[in-house]
Amino acid sequence: MSSLTDRYVAATLRTVPAPRRAELAEELRASIADMIDDRTAGGQDHGSAEREVLTEMGNPEQLAARYSDRTLQLIGPRYYLLWWRVLRTLLTWIPAIVGVVTGVVKATVGGEPGAAIGAGIASALQTAVQIAFWVTLSFAVLERTRAPLGLPEWTVDQLPEETHERQISQPDSVASVVFLLGTVGVLVGQHFQHWAGGDGSRLPVLDPALWSFWLPALIAVLLATVGLEVAKYRSGRWTWPLVAVNALLNLAFAAPVVWLLLTDRLLNPDLIERFAWLREGGADDVARIAVVVTVVVAGWDVIDSAVKAVRAGRR
Amino acid sequence: MVSDEVLRTHLQELRRGTIVVASLVALRRPDYGYALLQRLAAHGFAVDANTLYPLLRRLEEQGLLTSEWNTEESRPRKFYRTSDDGERVLGRLLDDLTAVQTSVTQLIEGVGR
Repeated sequence: MSSLTDRYVAATLRTVPAPRRAELAEELRASIADMIDDRTAGGQDHGSAEREVLTEMGNPEQLAARYSDRTLQLIGPRYYLLWWRVLRTLLTWIPAIVGVVTGVVKATVGGEPGAAIGAGIASALQTAVQIAFWVTLSFAVLERTRAPLGLPEWTVDQLPEETHERQISQPDSVASVVFLLGTVGVLVGQHFQHWAGGDGSRLPVLDPALWSFWLPALIAVLLATVGLEVAKYRSGRWTWPLVAVNALLNLAFAAPVVWLLLTDRLLNPDLIERFAWLREGGADDVARIAVVVTVVVAGWDVIDSAVKAVRAGRR
Repeated sequence: MVSDEVLRTHLQELRRGTIVVASLVALRRPDYGYALLQRLAAHGFAVDANTLYPLLRRLEEQGLLTSEWNTEESRPRKFYRTSDDGERVLGRLLDDLTAVQTSVTQLIEGVGR
């Protein structure tokens, strides 16, 4: 059986570049032997002295890293900040967008609205894991090759404009965009949904006649609102022009919806026909509640944005 | 009172570069790894074996040390010696060490006044 020293030297050399191995082995062996001799000269038995010396030398992989001047970290201080920034930027938007797109595709093209949310979340998670893995792997390789990236040095010009905290946080913006895209998905998806089930007939909730103008118009307004969210995030706070656009977009969405509801043109007549409680006045109740909710939500959103613009102006 | 941990980190930081200086001075007289370790320890430079041995090889690669195998004794040992380049670098390092000492002294006197 090979001695502890043999095993230690072998373990150290395993990760040392080949050209230096033989010489290093001899030197390391001699050094260890010297240290053991020093202890046995003091009356200690060879076995325990050997154990003590090797323990003092420490983990052979760590020693090997010191010999070959290797880093013992995945991503060191040189690349850490850049890695973190890239990762954060990518993870903020991409998984959410992929999730929404997958969900919408599943609900519409795939014709499985029930599985849409699950599929969306699963693909968003998968995307996030993939992004995290590949970005980290790339930076770990950079760290090991010590490749110079030639990135510009930090300058004072990169300081953020505002010294106070952002009024519009990234998670809020992302949540809003996801919600808006999700709503677009629902509007599109409901058209293909087997809502009534049973006989397998396609029965959209909203009147298919609206596709000639009103539904595309509402979707356009929602997409414009996504643009507003992006603009708002970039500005970092509510400004009066943003408040004005927000009010306009809210009006452009709420007014047609309210009008369609009040004139009984929003819900699919076939759907109302199929359900007794909708036929016997239920549809009117649904419409009335929907009108109130729409007006309150839109009104609240506009007031809220104005209040925040006032607050941002005070700072 | 600061914790021992904090004190130890600061002392470590302060001592880090001095091992190179001490090794370059000590190896004006050729020596092998473990003997150098003991000489340094005897002069108050406590350094771990697993730090010193890789350091010697690194200094050799940088051309600050030269080495030679001695096979005359019971076991072959690699002897290191400070090279001419090493001597020049050592000169600069010692100057800097003195400069630091002088600055600290001046600073202490300046604050004292």
